[in-house]
Amino acid sequence: MRRFFAPLLALGLAAAGAAQAEDTLTPLHFQSQGALGSIDKAAAQRGFLVYQTVCAACHSANALHYRDLEALGLTPDQAAGVAAGVKLADGSAATLDSPFKDPAMPASAFGGAAPPDLSSIVAQRKHGTMYIYKLLTGYAAAPQSVNLLPGHYYNTAFPGGQIAMPPVLRDNAVTYADGTAATAQQEAADVAEFLTWAADPNLSARHQIGLRAVIFFLFLSLVALASKRGIWRERA
Amino acid sequence: MTTDAKQSWAGERMPCLGGLCGALFAPRCTPEGKYLDTLPGLIAIALAFLTLSGAVMAAYYDPWHAFASVQFIRREVNNGWLVQAYHATGATALFGLVYLHLFRVMLTRAYRAPGEFAWWLAVKLLALLLFVGWMGFVLSGGAAGYWSLFNAANAAVSLPGAPGAVARWFLGGPAAPASLARLEMFHTVLALAALAVAGGLLAARRKVAPQPAPGKGVAFYPYYLAQYLAALAVFALIFSVLLFFAPHFGQPAVNALAADPLTLPAGTALPWYLLPLAGVADALPGLWGGVAGVAGALVVLAALPWLDRAGPDGAKGKLYCALTWILALDVLALGATSAAHDNPQAPLLLGLFTLWYFFHFLVLTPLVTAMEAK
Repeated sequence: MRRFFAPLLALGLAAAGAAQAEDTLTPLHFQSQGALGSIDKAAAQRGFLVYQTVCAACHSANALHYRDLEALGLTPDQAAGVAAGVKLADGSAATLDSPFKDPAMPASAFGGAAPPDLSSIVAQRKHGTMYIYKLLTGYAAAPQSVNLLPGHYYNTAFPGGQIAMPPVLRDNAVTYADGTAATAQQEAADVAEFLTWAADPNLSARHQIGLRAVIFFLFLSLVALASKRGIWRERA
Repeated sequence: MTTDAKQSWAGERMPCLGGLCGALFAPRCTPEGKYLDTLPGLIAIALAFLTLSGAVMAAYYDPWHAFASVQFIRREVNNGWLVQAYHATGATALFGLVYLHLFRVMLTRAYRAPGEFAWWLAVKLLALLLFVGWMGFVLSGGAAGYWSLFNAANAAVSLPGAPGAVARWFLGGPAAPASLARLEMFHTVLALAALAVAGGLLAARRKVAPQPAPGKGVAFYPYYLAQYLAALAVFALIFSVLLFFAPHFGQPAVNALAADPLTLPAGTALPWYLLPLAGVADALPGLWGGVAGVAGALVVLAALPWLDRAGPDGAKGKLYCALTWILALDVLALGATSAAHDNPQAPLLLGLFTLWYFFHFLVLTPLVTAMEAK
């Protein structure tokens, strides 16, 4: 049901930050990757728009609250506005729950394949960020040699090649407020960055503190080693 | 005041203070110290800090909602992500130190009399920490931990007689939330016991440390204190690289998935420090085979002072040193094969590596050491 709020959401996110149109596809790169990576907040905001408009029709991300979006640059009012758009009693303290009231319903509706919770999906898969991107852009016509199971789609990134999730991303499935061209690939890359943040909300802080800690202990080690040598030399 | 005067002044007023004075200021240490001699001290420090971070986590951990409470610590508690990553990386660092210490003692053959008691304490510490580490892994409530507990608990409670009764008392039934509540308690209690063993290891090693020639000794302060601080700083550097840039080092990715009793995830595995012993357990058939493998692997390790036939003053041969290095590679290979247990060649390789492990201790060690001592 949440997909009907897409225009409202886009409007809400438009005011979220003075983000510039960006292209993370040529070449494909994720700011969150690498030893000193940090979350690209603009991309993660766009990714949340894709999540809320498209993914959230089936998937939950129940470790996240709407108020957590403030970490991506939304003001408390904007986060509350997003939550109000989904008509939640708890406001922005609500979690991003499954859209299905009955927990047994999705599995029975999708031939036994329950849509997994997306809060930590990036941590659960090898090279999770890239995996999400490749999965969402990996749909293709099945080769002659593959007999597709009923209700399955051919996907080059999915283990076994047959996935029960239909291809959901298409060009202009959402309208980005910052002017970024909403191609299906850009949507996939943005949602991958959003889910990277969802799985590890402290990634930026961890890398930032880590760099300082390593520099500090590097100098402390040098000083401690030098002082040890000095003290032992005096003895002789 | 001279050192002796300080010591006697303090000792007459409060004997333990005099002992502390002597330990710090009396010239009792040899004038050449190796950095790696600080390993038992680092082990005790790492354990103490693990206990502290564990105490913080215990304030928020809820065994009845294990996975959700760890998520709560990582996402909601102020700096909880740092404490949780610290605890997980601390386990990795601690096992790294313990394995390195055991390997070094084997290489220098310091386990021979009078060092055998310190060696037993070190092996006991390893056994205790393996158990505590496994419980911590299970307490995370992830899918890999849940299924590890499920397998272990179902095997243990189905044992006939007294072992099964003890297992039922210990676990409170197979893989239930009640099991996690009990494991949380045992994780804490046995971690404190490990801290006591680490203290014992320090004391035992101090007693058998080589004595300096008369008049040539140096005091702990400032010489060895400076060395400890340097070793600690380098350790902290390595630790912070792991903590901030690889917080999930050696942990199976499947454990980021909440446990589901109806879903067996593909490729469940153990954290890296349990893999070699799990490989030995997998290589032997049946439940009792696994139990005997784990117990046997630790017993032959503890029996090393007797298996070494060279005697306390025997020569340290090159061949046995090379064999010890090969044993280290064998243990690494056991861990790597155990991690890749879906490979069709894995059972054969696990069998071979396990065979070599026991062959090294039970046959090669007595033979080669006796030969080289001549």
